[in-house]
Amino acid sequence: MSEIDWFPLVLSLRVALIATAFVVVLGVALGWLLARKRFFGREFLDAAVTLPLVLPPTVLGYYLLVLLGRRSFFGRAIESLTGQSLVFTWRGAVIAAGVGALPLVVKTSRTAIASVDTNLEDAARTLGQSEWRVFRRVTMPLASRGIVAAGMLAFARALGDFGATLMVAGNIPGKTQTAAIAIFDASQAGRDNYALVLVLILSAVTLLLVYTTNKLTSGK
Amino acid sequence: MTLQVRIKKSFGADREGTSARVGSAPGTPEIDAAMSGLEVEFEAPAGFTILFGASGSGKTTTLKAISGIVRPDSGRICINEDVLFDSSAAINVPIRSRGVGFVFQDLALFPHLTSMENVEFGMSGTEPSDRRRRVQTLMDGLRIIHIAKRKPRDISGGEAQRVALARALSRMPRLLLLDEPLSAIDEETKLSIISDLKRINRELQLPILYVTHSREEAISLGERLIVYERGRIVGRGEPIEVFGTPVASSIARLTGVENIFTGRVITKSESSGTVTLEVSDKEGTCQVDIPYGSQAEGERVTIAVSAGDILLATEEPRHTSLRNILTGRITSIEDKSNRTIIAVKAGVNWSTSVTRQAVRELELVEGREVWLAFKTHSCYLLDQDE
Repeated sequence: MSEIDWFPLVLSLRVALIATAFVVVLGVALGWLLARKRFFGREFLDAAVTLPLVLPPTVLGYYLLVLLGRRSFFGRAIESLTGQSLVFTWRGAVIAAGVGALPLVVKTSRTAIASVDTNLEDAARTLGQSEWRVFRRVTMPLASRGIVAAGMLAFARALGDFGATLMVAGNIPGKTQTAAIAIFDASQAGRDNYALVLVLILSAVTLLLVYTTNKLTSGK
Repeated sequence: MTLQVRIKKSFGADREGTSARVGSAPGTPEIDAAMSGLEVEFEAPAGFTILFGASGSGKTTTLKAISGIVRPDSGRICINEDVLFDSSAAINVPIRSRGVGFVFQDLALFPHLTSMENVEFGMSGTEPSDRRRRVQTLMDGLRIIHIAKRKPRDISGGEAQRVALARALSRMPRLLLLDEPLSAIDEETKLSIISDLKRINRELQLPILYVTHSREEAISLGERLIVYERGRIVGRGEPIEVFGTPVASSIARLTGVENIFTGRVITKSESSGTVTLEVSDKEGTCQVDIPYGSQAEGERVTIAVSAGDILLATEEPRHTSLRNILTGRITSIEDKSNRTIIAVKAGVNWSTSVTRQAVRELELVEGREVWLAFKTHSCYLLDQDE
């Protein structure tokens, strides 16, 4: 084997990092909503955000393809705004990876936020704080372990996304080929050593992330 | 400042509904008055108003409704002219704008912040130098400046209590709500915090609602007592009246019951309905009649008479129903903010309180001969705890 192609790994890290950033913001907001607010359809929303966890990745990818594609309103809006479709680009991979990671963030941060004593939040309100400031100054700092854990899980999940990414971003070497897809590609083509290198690196990174997450969420 | 409260909140209907509508996690006030719902109406002028009752009678829910944490089904809550909640006018001022200081039962100190950061928490709008000065004054006044940099888990119960109090006062509230603030504190600390609370009460002149199920706290703080039972008010008045007797004498001393004497039962008369005591202090003795009770002749008892219950006259009162009439001389006249305390040596040293006008009109001066008169029912028997 000649020179190792690091592009897929670098792309995976970049996609996972950006996806995590988006998904933590959205997921923590949803987690807070589910933990603290009573509203019609709350349990339905909970079920809906859990779906990406259990749906076949191809189904998820299919939905995204339809949603982001040229024929959908949303897809056209994005294309006219940015001059470029999301489908078959690394940005599409970010969205696919992010949607896959969302349930983990919502579930983990919902649990973390629900464990914050509501009396503390009420105390902050009696001290003149708006809902946003209550969240920023009390809820978030006290749920921070859980939120950090949620971010790490999301990163690990996004790093390894395969099916949905393949459907939405395709498998374009040097453009949208992430590490998980490159492994599939390499093992299909008999480049077993290259596949093994990527497999070992992904396994090690993910193991470290999950281990740290467990330490964070198991408390003290 | 006067707080007016009229609230109604039922819990039965909520609880029958779907679980999602019950509203809160376990342990929240909804449980509090679960029995019958809450329906109360009262007024609280500046000074202490004690909400007294067993746990689950709706006291905490009342505080939470006033602060806006719990929304009543109907009613009206206002401070002077300022309406905080009015179901008929669809007014429900958010918690953060109500200007209410709240000390929670579990104190609810922010565990991730130091004592000082806790006190400063609500003062983000204040100019930094003002804020520093005010935090300093508050923490100095409550003797917690030395723990300013420590987190709540590293301070004692009494210190945590004072931090919570300082925090509740930091935004100059119009109203102070205290939910069983002394339930988990040792006796000595309790007494010192009670005197802090009394000082705060004198300085700030706010309505202070104080929830407790301790008689002793109620008596030592209470000017007004409201008794809760199953979400309803079943009694109100001065604590010492509402509770009757007996109470611990150390507590009575804190209440501002000025005349406390120990004595011995000399005679009992069931037919006249009185027990005659000989009471004494360091300088003398005198006889006092108290209502008929179970005391045995020769038994030692302690009695308390509030200075405000003693009538002072410049000639001997005749043809009255008052059983206790004593004569003596004025030993001192002390001007307090809203009344004058006259000390009279009549066997023992009595304190009686009169208005300034009375001092002028009766030409009261030290050394003058006066008569003291009070009812048997103005004498409260105290527990002998010393």
